[in-house]
Amino acid sequence: MEIVVNGAPRVLADELAEPQMPLLWALRELLGLTGTKFGCGVAACGACTVHVDGRAVRSCVTSLEAVRGKRIVTIEALGSAEHPHALQRAWVEHQVPQCGYCQSGMLMAAAALLAINRTPSDADIDAAITNICRCGTYPRIRAAIRTAAKALSAGGSSA
Amino acid sequence: MKRRTLLLSGLGAAGALVVGWGVLPPRSRQGGVDTLPTVDGEFGLNGWIKIAADGSVLLAMNRSEMGQGVHTALAMLVAEELDVALTQVHLIPAGHDRLYGNVAMFVSSLPLHPTETEPGHESGVARSGQWVVAKVARELGINATGGSSSVVDAWDVLRLAAATARAQLLGAASLTWKQPAGELSVKDGVVSHPSGSSAHYGQLAQMAAATPSGTVRVKTAAEWKLIGTAAPRIDLVAKTDGSAVFGIDVRPPGLLYAAIRHCPMIGGSVGALEVAATARLPGVERVIRLGNYAGSTAALAVVGRTWWHARRGADALVVEWQQRPAGGLDSRAILDALAHSAKDADANGGGFVFHSRGNVGAAAAKTPRSVEQLYRAPYLAHATMEPINCTARVDAGKVEVWAPTQVPGMARALAAEVAGVPLDDVTVHVTYLGGGFGRRLDVDFVGQAVRIALECGGRPVQLVWSREEDLTHDFYRPAGAAVLRASLGDDGLPVTLQITSAGDAITPRWIERGIPNLAGPVDTPDKTASEGLFDQLYGIPNQRIAHVATRSGVPVGYWRSVGHSHNAFFSEGFIDELAYEAKQDPVAYRLALLKDAPRHHAVLLLAAQRSGWPGYGTTQMLAPGRARGVALHESFGSIVAEVVEASIEAGVPRVHRVVCAADVGTVVNPGIVAQQLESAVIFALSAALYGRIDIDGGIVKQTNFPNYLVVRLADSPRVETHLVASTRSPGGVGEIGTPPLAPALANALFALTGKRLRELPLAL
Repeated sequence: MEIVVNGAPRVLADELAEPQMPLLWALRELLGLTGTKFGCGVAACGACTVHVDGRAVRSCVTSLEAVRGKRIVTIEALGSAEHPHALQRAWVEHQVPQCGYCQSGMLMAAAALLAINRTPSDADIDAAITNICRCGTYPRIRAAIRTAAKALSAGGSSA
Repeated sequence: MKRRTLLLSGLGAAGALVVGWGVLPPRSRQGGVDTLPTVDGEFGLNGWIKIAADGSVLLAMNRSEMGQGVHTALAMLVAEELDVALTQVHLIPAGHDRLYGNVAMFVSSLPLHPTETEPGHESGVARSGQWVVAKVARELGINATGGSSSVVDAWDVLRLAAATARAQLLGAASLTWKQPAGELSVKDGVVSHPSGSSAHYGQLAQMAAATPSGTVRVKTAAEWKLIGTAAPRIDLVAKTDGSAVFGIDVRPPGLLYAAIRHCPMIGGSVGALEVAATARLPGVERVIRLGNYAGSTAALAVVGRTWWHARRGADALVVEWQQRPAGGLDSRAILDALAHSAKDADANGGGFVFHSRGNVGAAAAKTPRSVEQLYRAPYLAHATMEPINCTARVDAGKVEVWAPTQVPGMARALAAEVAGVPLDDVTVHVTYLGGGFGRRLDVDFVGQAVRIALECGGRPVQLVWSREEDLTHDFYRPAGAAVLRASLGDDGLPVTLQITSAGDAITPRWIERGIPNLAGPVDTPDKTASEGLFDQLYGIPNQRIAHVATRSGVPVGYWRSVGHSHNAFFSEGFIDELAYEAKQDPVAYRLALLKDAPRHHAVLLLAAQRSGWPGYGTTQMLAPGRARGVALHESFGSIVAEVVEASIEAGVPRVHRVVCAADVGTVVNPGIVAQQLESAVIFALSAALYGRIDIDGGIVKQTNFPNYLVVRLADSPRVETHLVASTRSPGGVGEIGTPPLAPALANALFALTGKRLRELPLAL
């Protein structure tokens, strides 16, 4: 099976990559992209959030079959060391992460929101970010999303 | 002799027994260079600090980073004394030497009242108890990240290690340049002399290693450049690009994955097993029976090529699970029994007395106006975001473990025991922890992973628990009940306070499962059971604070802020009831009781002022339908007051704003302190609104986030932090914001509804 991850086609060993295997495990254990996290396995916590054709998707309940031929983007390609995404810059500016485990999913959910809405209201943020963080970074996440939105609206690129 | 004094002498004798008679020599915590191996180009200056060829500072990091910012805070102490930029300090894993043990955490486990441990005014009992426990802890060298103790423990040790290293480096420059050390200056790790000589630490390190430090002093507060600043955390860039490596992310070559199914009944076992369906599935390697490891329930593990294959295999096992011989645990029956125990001991003067003063009986007899209430709290799970996991390899008699753990030495000891190898043949790598909250002070999963690895022919295996296994097989925050009773004088203030609580002891059970060779000597009354009740500083002249230690059979463990997590709800809910009974303002009432507790008084006053509490500075009007509640609580050497603004929306409490005021002693990094208070408030809010673990027939009913609810972004309040300036040594930070939240919220809900909530979670 072949899937397109972070702009590159990736071949998965057929004996392991069964069509119903969730994307999460293919990313983490077949492709070594461990930035995407396992949290609950039932799409309740959002730690596994990635982009599929630009939309935030919970990869723990998304089968390989369902993403064949689609563009998958993970936290590893949200930005780069030289050109971090506006959200990644805002995350550091606001000192958002604590343990950090849920943050990949948070960032991917936030990036999908800002891709379609550069001026999100509090209600928009509430509706888009339903991920769980046990360290309680939520107030800073909200602040960082606002900062990133401003930076993007001021003419920055999306990545 | 008082029972408590006996207890302390018992601890001392027990400690001496454990580490051997004739011990307790003075032993430095600086360590020698042999404690810290060097590679080419590096020079060790003590057990904590090496200098690399490029002049950067390598710090042996003995504490686990689980979000609390400890890697940054400890690196700041060293950077400060060495006059290097924080970015010039690089962390290397501390080894397993006893040097890296935690002394402060064990000293703080003594059941001492804060009035006895006030710096400079310690009681004789406190001084000798602390001395003995510190000695024993240094000898035992148990490395633990917990009890909000990391900065407290490192404060003197790391600053002195860094200051000593600096003195040696300057000594080397002084000898080389033949200039007085007093004329040298250091900036960003470069030593220079007005004559023009200059060298970075890397160029001086070899000579420094052979240069005596002379007399060393650490900087005074006035000399600090870094301590006290909100320096950016050193771990955050890696936590925004997916590159931070948690336990679940380690990928040694040839890695296999294991899923686990515990007996659903806590403490039960595995009976008849049918593996045929599992064995037929692709990607499944083998099925392994797991016994009990450091308190775990028996389980079955399935090893697979990926975790998904392993879990599918585990789901396909057909198992007859067996109930534990003592019968299925029932949390409702346990909570009823706890309430009964507390009432019974309250009526009969029972329980272990953690604090008494005055004469409660005589004083109460003269003060007819009394209040008595029963408070209760449920079991709670930790639910760390990173599911429980451990990676292990057993190959040619050597064991390698990668674990997100708060206790690497305990992990190592258990790994050695399970693999049947000497301790020296086990290496434990501590990864980032995706949350700890006390869950990772237990090592059950390490024992399981090593047992599985023994069957994997030298290949590494990564055991990952599903969220369902995590929630149903945790070491839970113990359930608790307490009878609180006070009599009020003519001025409405309490003349007597009697609290009799009941609940399982944590520490003796934790030691039994994790450090079994200490289990006998240390089975003493557990301070954590009564903390937050016996150690209050309200000026109430007659007190009797006792606890009945129970053994319910439910596995219990440390949960962020431990006993304080529910005891603060009891004590601060009750004091609010007394204020109401006395028809006094809750803030004014508390302040009137804090005349001899100036730090507490200042913290509460600050919270009142900053929250706009009426009567304290500028009153802030609340939106219609909102009310405030307050709570004040000391824990881990720090004091926090919280004012909660809440409303009720569609019958459900909603928290809009939480104003925190805190005295944490000297602040190392105010940014991290604010972060931790926000964190603790939201963690506690989840527990206050939703947190409960119910057990029926031995089976935990809450299985995943859809039925173990936690706060999400949309439910999050604004959290503000205000710190009282202090020159005391640092207190704890990571847990201290948790205890006051539930009572402050309950008190706000009372102000809104007139209904007093005495049971967690708070249900209207």
